[in-house]
Amino acid sequence: MSISAPNSETHRPSEILRTLKRLGFGAVVSVPDSWLGEVLIRVEQEPDMTLVRATHEEEALAIACGFRLGGVRTALLVQNAGVLSMGAGMVSLAQRYQFPILMLVSYRGTHDDPVYYHLPKGRATEPVFRGIGLSFACADRHLPIGPQIEHAATFAEEGSCPFALLLSREDIQW
Amino acid sequence: MVTNARPTRTAYYKALSRNLPPQSLVVTSLGNASYLWASLHDVPENFYFEDAMGLTLPLALGLSMAQPKRQVVAVEGDGALLMHMGALVTIGAMNPANLTILLIQNGVHGASGGQALTNATLDLAELARASGIAHAENVDDPDVLGAKIRTDRSRKGAEFLVLATEPDLDVVRPPIALDPVVTKHRFMTAIGAPRYVPTLFGGGMLELR
Repeated sequence: MSISAPNSETHRPSEILRTLKRLGFGAVVSVPDSWLGEVLIRVEQEPDMTLVRATHEEEALAIACGFRLGGVRTALLVQNAGVLSMGAGMVSLAQRYQFPILMLVSYRGTHDDPVYYHLPKGRATEPVFRGIGLSFACADRHLPIGPQIEHAATFAEEGSCPFALLLSREDIQW
Repeated sequence: MVTNARPTRTAYYKALSRNLPPQSLVVTSLGNASYLWASLHDVPENFYFEDAMGLTLPLALGLSMAQPKRQVVAVEGDGALLMHMGALVTIGAMNPANLTILLIQNGVHGASGGQALTNATLDLAELARASGIAHAENVDDPDVLGAKIRTDRSRKGAEFLVLATEPDLDVVRPPIALDPVVTKHRFMTAIGAPRYVPTLFGGGMLELR
């Protein structure tokens, strides 16, 4: 499936929410950061979606696996630091049992992130993802975000594995 | 509290097996929590943890919310709970009435050989109540557990039963291979969970078959 031409007028966080609804995602599990806070409030207002606010990202991953085990398509919304701290659960639960979980991850600590204390996490993110065998992609901010969400969700299902889409502030901050 | 005369895990499991309501789903933690349950009551509606210590309760929370018409029983150990105590807060916040947690309090890390816990005498029922799980209590009698399991499920919110248990350090050999992927597919098939139906160029959906 080809990705269509850019549309700068689209509000990307709204498009992410619309795409999750269109694809039948019934649950979102999250540990928020400042970029994710508002989109989670919008999820909470959706009548056909359930939001669970977890206390730790590894716990959130396990909750998402439980939802999927019960037949509910589920997305995990966390910061990249949270993925760094969920390594054991990622390999010994989500990957070992082949749970298709869509992970939408705020990519903090990149060169254009104004909060510089995130930098160590940004620098470690992609090497750690590769190290634990987590399939991922960086969202292209110049292309529509909806199809990128759909591709990531499809990858998770077709690959029977978690898939992380790394998002910029423009993608996810409402 | 842990007392000097504690029942065995086997005694609790037999009480659970005799009194489990039809259609119940059971999620068991790693080690003997899974091996012994598989030996006594292996059915497709069991989900066995192979490892992932500390994640049984959060997975059971998600499952209970996805399957609100079924009773979900989660068996976790005290050592594993200490690794992810935040899960109690999340369970207390969501509070699904179809979730029953059986917390094996044996005072040791049983699955890894019996090492001492950081604190073996915490009042875990009190901890659960403080986390928002109102129906939390200590149990030291398998018959009491059996009665609670078969009782009418009209309560509001999750239930947390702390079972004072003798440590069982000898590893039980389960009668079946607990292959993780087979376990998952067997479970999802048994409950009739929707399956992903692919399409050639993406955009597949979960559908009931």
